[in-house]
Amino acid sequence: MKICYLRGTDYIRLMKRPLFSLLSVLLFALTTLGEPGHSTQQEALAFLQELKLPDSSIYWPNARSRLFMENLRHNVQYPLSMYQGSNTNFCGYAALSYLPLNNDPLQYVKFMAALFLEGKATWGRIHFDPAPEVMRAAGTLRFKGVLDIHPADQMWFLVLADHFRSYLNFFFRKYHAGSEDSFWAACNLGKFNRIVTRLLGYKIRAVGSDLIRPGIKDLYAYLQKAIQAGTTFLYVNNTYLHVKNHDKSKFGFPTHYIVLSDIQMKDDIFTIIYWDYGGRTLRQVTPKFLKKILYGVTYTLNNGHEE
Amino acid sequence: MRNKPTHILLYAAFALLACACKTMNISRYYRYHQSVLDSIELVYKQSYKNKPFSIEFTDRAFDRVSLELTTDTLTYIYEFWVGEDRMKDTLRKYGFDIQVVNNLITNMRSVDCTWINNLDYYTDERKHSLVYVTLWPRAFNFPFVNKKYYILTYFPQPQYFDSDGNLLMGRKLRRIRKINAEVFRRINDKVCYTLSARFR
Repeated sequence: MKICYLRGTDYIRLMKRPLFSLLSVLLFALTTLGEPGHSTQQEALAFLQELKLPDSSIYWPNARSRLFMENLRHNVQYPLSMYQGSNTNFCGYAALSYLPLNNDPLQYVKFMAALFLEGKATWGRIHFDPAPEVMRAAGTLRFKGVLDIHPADQMWFLVLADHFRSYLNFFFRKYHAGSEDSFWAACNLGKFNRIVTRLLGYKIRAVGSDLIRPGIKDLYAYLQKAIQAGTTFLYVNNTYLHVKNHDKSKFGFPTHYIVLSDIQMKDDIFTIIYWDYGGRTLRQVTPKFLKKILYGVTYTLNNGHEE
Repeated sequence: MRNKPTHILLYAAFALLACACKTMNISRYYRYHQSVLDSIELVYKQSYKNKPFSIEFTDRAFDRVSLELTTDTLTYIYEFWVGEDRMKDTLRKYGFDIQVVNNLITNMRSVDCTWINNLDYYTDERKHSLVYVTLWPRAFNFPFVNKKYYILTYFPQPQYFDSDGNLLMGRKLRRIRKINAEVFRRINDKVCYTLSARFR
């Protein structure tokens, strides 16, 4: 019997191929688990066409299936029209909905359908099992503009607010009637980024915080780079952007999310185009004004620009 | 006796403060300016049907005006000095009737109206629209006092009210309706008012 002694280099040569295969599989699994999905509007509409819902859901007693279906169809056809409702704190959830509605509407409608039919659903690796009070509330929110007749949006916002928590929920843990206007529904920057990465699977770059403005030297160049890289969200102080009173002294913290789709500079004036409140707006602002209201920038890397 | 001038000054300051903080009777204000206010609402409603827009005065002197011009794809927000040529050029560019918008701005200034907009609301799953007019009478202009706005809502049809004059959701649904998180009260069957810390 001949005994073969292998040297160290022989071991490496023998194991190289299976090790490489194992590492490749692991790497593939790791990257694909966090990958955002992609589907088309047509696929989502075809799914809705085939979807049969009961007249009412035992899980969502106040969400009418007809309005629910109409709402889903409308969101797929007009992804920019999603409206957070007047005087609610759902703006963060409405802004991040921009991603699935524009890039993966099929996943969105499948998730919503499962939620309606089974009372719980899974998106990626995150399982949603909403609280009973949230399930009772969906469909009952009133005096919120078009959100009144959008039970699917009510459900989506309430479920996200119920599942994802932050320090803002320290005193607002459970949903009560009217919580949609309170800190219970509010979305700070950390929570927002967590939802975009963990739930929706996007790789992001983010600067800023809930209290201190980011020190971006060349704001114009930075925002242009962000827009080229992917979808760009700005975390802003809305008391200046969407003025509601003429008080000179305004509180200095961010309250609102917008999706920046374009920025141009001419004669030291920025012309920005952004999405919020169910539509896109163009306005001209000074660099000083934009720096003053800006507390955070989050952009996705879905266009392949790593840096 | 040495303190007499101080007392007089204190009394005068107190009287001034009391005058500045007095509340205005909005029903009386509405009746006094009814023709102008109603014509603003009518002209705005008709113009809005052609091309949606809203007008805001951004300063206390009613000299700076911000226009929100809504098109199919974008809402454009621009700010001008009243009467500025740039404003006419912008209105022309987006196909608005310059004369109508200018007249509206002039009338709004004359009655201290700081904001006009069209607002959608829903009853029994049906969409309705109202004209939202915010007044910022100069009587409220006092430093360190919270700015308050009187808001008038013009409904297209008569509304239902409870015995206290609060606006209700409908004839069958006797629930108090809120618009922009505010409870409104009756001026007449189609016009309601509220006092708010926000003009929109």
